[in-house]
Amino acid sequence: MAKTGDDAQLALLQGTLDMLILRTLQWGPQHGHGIGQAIRAQSDDLLKVETGSLYPALHRLVKRGWLKAEWGVSEANQRARYYRLTAAGKEQLSRERDRWSQLVDAIGRVMNPASEIKE
Amino acid sequence: MRPDLDDLDDEIRGHMAISIKERIERGEDPEAARLAALREFGNVTLTRDSMRGVWRHRWSDSAEALARDIRFAMRALLRVKGMAATVVVTLALGIGANAAVFSVVRGVLLRPLVNRDEDRLIYIRQSATGLGAGGENMTFSVPEVNDLKSRATTISAFGDFSTVDLAMIGLGGEPRMVKAGVVGGSFFDVMGLHAVLGRLLNAGDDGPKAEGAAVLTYRFWATTLNSDPTVIGKTVRLGPRTATVVGVLEPSVPYPADTEIISNVVTSPHHLGATMVTRRTHRMTELFGRLAPGTSVEAARAELTALYAAIVREHPEAYSKQANVQLTVRLLRDQIASPARTILLVLLAAAAVVFVIACSNVANLILARSVRREGELAVRAALGAGHGALRRTLLAESLVLCGAGAVLGVLLAQPLVSMVSRYAARFSIRALDVTVDASVLWVGAGLAIAAAVLLAYVPRLPSPHAPAGLGLTSGSVRITPGTNRRLRVFATIQVACSFVLLAGAGMLLATVIALQAANTGYNMRQVLAFDIPTPAPGVSASQGDFYQEATRRVGRLPGVEGVALSMFVPWRDAGSFGPGPQFTVEGYTPADGEENPRARFRVVSPGFFAVLGVPMLAGRDFTDDDRDGGELVAIVSQSVAQRLFPNGEAVNRHMWWTDPYFGKPAPRRIVGIVGDVDDENIVRAPAQAIYQPVRQIGVAGRLFVRAASDPYALVPAVTRAIREIAADQPVERAATLEDIRAEVLSPERLNAFVFSAFAGIALLIAVVGVAGVLAFSVSARTREFGVRLAVGAAPRQLLARVLGEGAVIAAIGIAAGAVGGYALASVASRFLATVQLPGAVPVLGAAIVLIGAAVVASLMPAARASHVDVVQALRSE
Repeated sequence: MAKTGDDAQLALLQGTLDMLILRTLQWGPQHGHGIGQAIRAQSDDLLKVETGSLYPALHRLVKRGWLKAEWGVSEANQRARYYRLTAAGKEQLSRERDRWSQLVDAIGRVMNPASEIKE
Repeated sequence: MRPDLDDLDDEIRGHMAISIKERIERGEDPEAARLAALREFGNVTLTRDSMRGVWRHRWSDSAEALARDIRFAMRALLRVKGMAATVVVTLALGIGANAAVFSVVRGVLLRPLVNRDEDRLIYIRQSATGLGAGGENMTFSVPEVNDLKSRATTISAFGDFSTVDLAMIGLGGEPRMVKAGVVGGSFFDVMGLHAVLGRLLNAGDDGPKAEGAAVLTYRFWATTLNSDPTVIGKTVRLGPRTATVVGVLEPSVPYPADTEIISNVVTSPHHLGATMVTRRTHRMTELFGRLAPGTSVEAARAELTALYAAIVREHPEAYSKQANVQLTVRLLRDQIASPARTILLVLLAAAAVVFVIACSNVANLILARSVRREGELAVRAALGAGHGALRRTLLAESLVLCGAGAVLGVLLAQPLVSMVSRYAARFSIRALDVTVDASVLWVGAGLAIAAAVLLAYVPRLPSPHAPAGLGLTSGSVRITPGTNRRLRVFATIQVACSFVLLAGAGMLLATVIALQAANTGYNMRQVLAFDIPTPAPGVSASQGDFYQEATRRVGRLPGVEGVALSMFVPWRDAGSFGPGPQFTVEGYTPADGEENPRARFRVVSPGFFAVLGVPMLAGRDFTDDDRDGGELVAIVSQSVAQRLFPNGEAVNRHMWWTDPYFGKPAPRRIVGIVGDVDDENIVRAPAQAIYQPVRQIGVAGRLFVRAASDPYALVPAVTRAIREIAADQPVERAATLEDIRAEVLSPERLNAFVFSAFAGIALLIAVVGVAGVLAFSVSARTREFGVRLAVGAAPRQLLARVLGEGAVIAAIGIAAGAVGGYALASVASRFLATVQLPGAVPVLGAAIVLIGAAVVASLMPAARASHVDVVQALRSE
């Protein structure tokens, strides 16, 4: 049914957003706006993260213990909340990375069976 | 860790500021930058909410949603005030009745006694079920108590208590007869009670040489003496003896008797006499025991029963085979509760039935309402409300309704508890100090939640698979066959439950009416009975002369047609002499294995039978010449004469008592035969009785006066006449036989009243239920009736049709109730000793009342159906 298909897509997106955030924060602590901009820039503007998804996701990751948040002052001299990867967050990132490559691999096999035969 | 709302706002504001600044740095106009940033951010409130949502627990989330739903439900219910009020009141009745009955049940049956280690405190009972009335609890004689005391090892100590009537002078008011407890020194220690003032009786108060000492019960001290602390050390006169008040007992369940004072053995001459001390069959002592450490009730029961069997074997003369004597041992708490147990459990069942009726009625109303709301629910479902959300909406509404019902019910429980406890106090004294406590609140809340959840699941939700189109067209009420069936099922349940209650109430009413109407054989209206107990000390003349003089003076009063003495006021003194003693007559030999017959032993004065209206069938009445020193005579009742002298030659033959109580057998000539009356039971059973003249036996403390007109007008004159002879003489409890019977019947009348009240409530709710169902069904079928009228049906036919529907609901309900009630009775008979099934008259009566009520309830909807405006009905859809 259409409904279950929607669910799966949403779940996938949500999962990837978490991963992207974790990955972005590997470079160092960043505030929400910065994270959004970084993802956008890194993906050559292909991925645009809605703030409505980004902030709840950040808070969810803090709640899970993968990020730590603290108040700081931005380069623009503005009070902002900075997010930093925790040790658990680093582990989670590597797990997500593995899962992601497995997923890409699996989906690739399904979508391009011929290429595999060729190899 | 968890950010608060300000933090979230700050974070979003920070984001905006950075975003705007970046845009300006890129060269955008500040105002355009601000707008772009805002646009890019999207819905700020929504984002903030979902950020906050991350931190919220699942349950608090749904609690908040429920709170929202409840606010919505309140607004929605305000629009249907009538329906909401009906639901709340119905539920309040159901919840209030249950909460009240439950508090009383808890207080009487479940609450521990105040006595120290009350779970080690036992009551020992001797019964002789073979002797009929008075045999259930024969109590013990002193030799029996001593036997048990000397042999038992499972009981660490025994306490004994016997009740005597004493004329008390001192401690407030007139000289009067009081019930006093006479106890041995171990009693209070065994009972585990304390004094609130002074001391209680102890081993030092035992024996004939001790000083007279009395303990006041708390209630007497607090009410009659206004808690006077100076009472300790005062002297009271108790009959011929005196006693010093040594203490006040703490508030406790007065068992076995609610006395005003409890005194030591020396205050009662009878207790020191040879009859009391040595005669094995002279039983008037109640026996309590405290279990020895480490012993169980079962062990004590086993040991005492074995000991008792040995005692019975050792003294065959004191325990007749026919009597079927038995010893039972139970916790005192259970003993106290046992008379109230059945009645309270039945009451609890009745309250539960009322609750079921209330719930099904409310279910009906809610179901009808939800059908009207089907449109709304369908719209909500179409807009994406899940099943959970819709259920929650319904739950919120039923929570509001049931919560209000529970609050009102708990408020209602307060007066109900005092009513029910006053009622239950007739069966167990413990009910008197039942108060409304927290348990009522818990019961109320529990019932309300149970009802709310139940009711929330009554309506069916719009199915996601069914086409929503129909439901979405607003305004029209469509009633599906399924809903209609459910409505009718609930109405039928109400009728069925009401039927059970009505039949039960009818049975009790029929019993009371039968008891009231029973012919007693006495002149009920004109005969006034007084208690004139043994004369107070200081009366110069002998007791016999005192009574002689009293009857002479009362007999001379104007308006007095006759006056007589006896030892026994019918029904009021029932049970006070136990089963009748054994006797025999000349020429009678019992068949093999049969014992001598028993008869009630009654002492009466000349004129007694004439005054009370008991017919002389043969021979003569006693005369003033039948006195000490004269020939010993007796009068027998008709049943004695018929049984022992089948050929009708009873007069002038001789009888004598064989019971050891009467000492050496002394033959008495039978001088007369009187009609049978039953002074122990209101419904007359063949009662063998043998009467002896008062002047040959001494004392008879009951005076009977036959009045020419209003009997109660004679009371002051009679009292005055007797006080002229002896100023301190108690003259008490004046009442006509009719009123005595009414008083004795008051528990039955109360039973009938309470059940009628329950049945009345049930009937009322059921009528509302049936009327509601039909009204709803009619309003939903307006179109159908319009069509019927249009094609030529007569309005009368429609009227009859709807009335018929009501009657069918009632008939099915009655049938279901009859089957259910029968099943209930057979289940109940497994737990309760006496379960009666109502006779045909109450059952038929209940059925007729219900059918009638159903027809009345259907009248209004039926009239509406027959007056449907055809044109409007057909146009309405």
